[in-house]
Amino acid sequence: MSTGKLTASADTASGPQSDGATGAGVSEGVDADAELLKGRTWLGWILLTAKKSVVPLLILGTWTIITYIWPLAYGERLIRPIFLPGPHDLVKALLQMGPYLPESILSSVSMTLLGFALGTALGIAIGVSMAYSKNTRELFGGILDFLRPVPALALIPLFILWFGIGKGPQIALIVFGTSVILGLTTIEAIRNVPPVYIRAALTMGASRWHIYRTVILPSITPHILGAVRVAGVASWGLDVAAEFIGAQTGLGYLIIIRQQYLDTPGIMLIVIIFSILAMGLDLVIRAVERPITKWTERSTRRGIVAAVVGAT
Amino acid sequence: MAPKIVVDNLAAGYGSGFVLEGISFDVSQGEIVCLIGASGCGKTTLLNIVAGLVPYQQGTVTMDSRPVDHPGPDRVMVFQDDAVFPWMRVHENVEYGLRVKRMAKDARTRRAAEVIDLVGLSGNERMFPKELSGGMRKRVDLARALAVEPEVLLMDEPYAALDVMTKERLQIEFVRICEETNMTCIFVTHDLEEALFVGHRVILLGRRPAHIVATYEVPFSHPRDVSLKRAADFQELRGELAGRIE
Repeated sequence: MSTGKLTASADTASGPQSDGATGAGVSEGVDADAELLKGRTWLGWILLTAKKSVVPLLILGTWTIITYIWPLAYGERLIRPIFLPGPHDLVKALLQMGPYLPESILSSVSMTLLGFALGTALGIAIGVSMAYSKNTRELFGGILDFLRPVPALALIPLFILWFGIGKGPQIALIVFGTSVILGLTTIEAIRNVPPVYIRAALTMGASRWHIYRTVILPSITPHILGAVRVAGVASWGLDVAAEFIGAQTGLGYLIIIRQQYLDTPGIMLIVIIFSILAMGLDLVIRAVERPITKWTERSTRRGIVAAVVGAT
Repeated sequence: MAPKIVVDNLAAGYGSGFVLEGISFDVSQGEIVCLIGASGCGKTTLLNIVAGLVPYQQGTVTMDSRPVDHPGPDRVMVFQDDAVFPWMRVHENVEYGLRVKRMAKDARTRRAAEVIDLVGLSGNERMFPKELSGGMRKRVDLARALAVEPEVLLMDEPYAALDVMTKERLQIEFVRICEETNMTCIFVTHDLEEALFVGHRVILLGRRPAHIVATYEVPFSHPRDVSLKRAADFQELRGELAGRIE
């Protein structure tokens, strides 16, 4: 077993990269660990799938035991359905709420995406303009520092007062929350651009604007995309919070209604729908991110490095 | 012929007091001058001043009799840190300075291919820096600097972070490239062997504030071979210099 592993890693080490070392006999520190886990065998995939399904299966199994098997043996449920409904209750809830769902989903999704898009654009615009010039930094920097610690949810009553009941405060809240995340990350990322890149560009005669466009913007892009993912997840939470208080439609509003009827299955069903929606948005952002950040070290974190940091 | 670069009675500092003082030397066309000294002695600051990246307080620095006061593509610098842009492919990195010059695309591609070949990186044009080893990245950095056809090359301990084998190979290549292109160069290093191997002249800097302790004409003829490093007179000179570094 262990010898098999060793030969495999030796094979990959003499792979394509050492050919690039320009006729020089010795390869210059080839990243063998990056190659180590590149090709997963079908057995590896099965093992991975099995590992990934252990916890979900345990949860589903426990759930089934509690709702179906326990009552068979002891005559009553271990946990009352009001606290933990069974899977069939969720299906029932889905059928019951079915007619209302499309409209609610459409409303929540459109509000969240609109707020997320506006907030992200605004945040990047603020960050990027503050990074470009000292003047804009001095103009807006103080305000951003002041707004940073404000809990976004605390602003809901004010936003309702200013923007009325309905979609206004909902979008405003999401825009506020996401733009603060993006703005701060952008500024922080620009502060961390290695100065040697800028000096290198300067000695080749590049102007400030050219350096900004060709050095600063590309080197902060991975950080901004990371923040966009964080903002994407946060925007669903902000949407729910806004709908709890001031909305007439949407999934969050539906949760509050179901709560009044003590409809636990209904609430759980909406939570699941929210998860699926949030995961969908995250998948889209990651799909956009991947081709843009393929130059980063992060995208080669495989093998031994991955084993240490626990990333794949 | 008038010297290419003249540094005359230069003094500079960041806060109170000078980091370097009373520095005078000149560099002729096609000459490689090595600045050597203990780390922190101010040799990088001196190079940054010649590059136009750091202002100075006293004296003059001129290139072709014009004072140096801002960075420009006539004096390109290669750094100790990895300065290759990781988001650009090898050929895009090499073309960077040419884009700044607004060179047309065809000419740019041709020039880039030329220098990539010169540093021995042909076939790696489409790679990202993360796919290259440290030594190959240094070659990209050198190619990027050479692409803009600078009049003076400023090398700031470029090979300090590399292993001995790679370093030696890059030094040999560097000497060859400088000879082929008749490049004028100021080469900062703390490695005596490197200084004696690549330099026509070695200037020894003392510390606090940096000042010139001694200047050595390197007696070995060009083209230089790696066997020179094992020669007795080479090692003897090296020993003599080592004794004079503070």
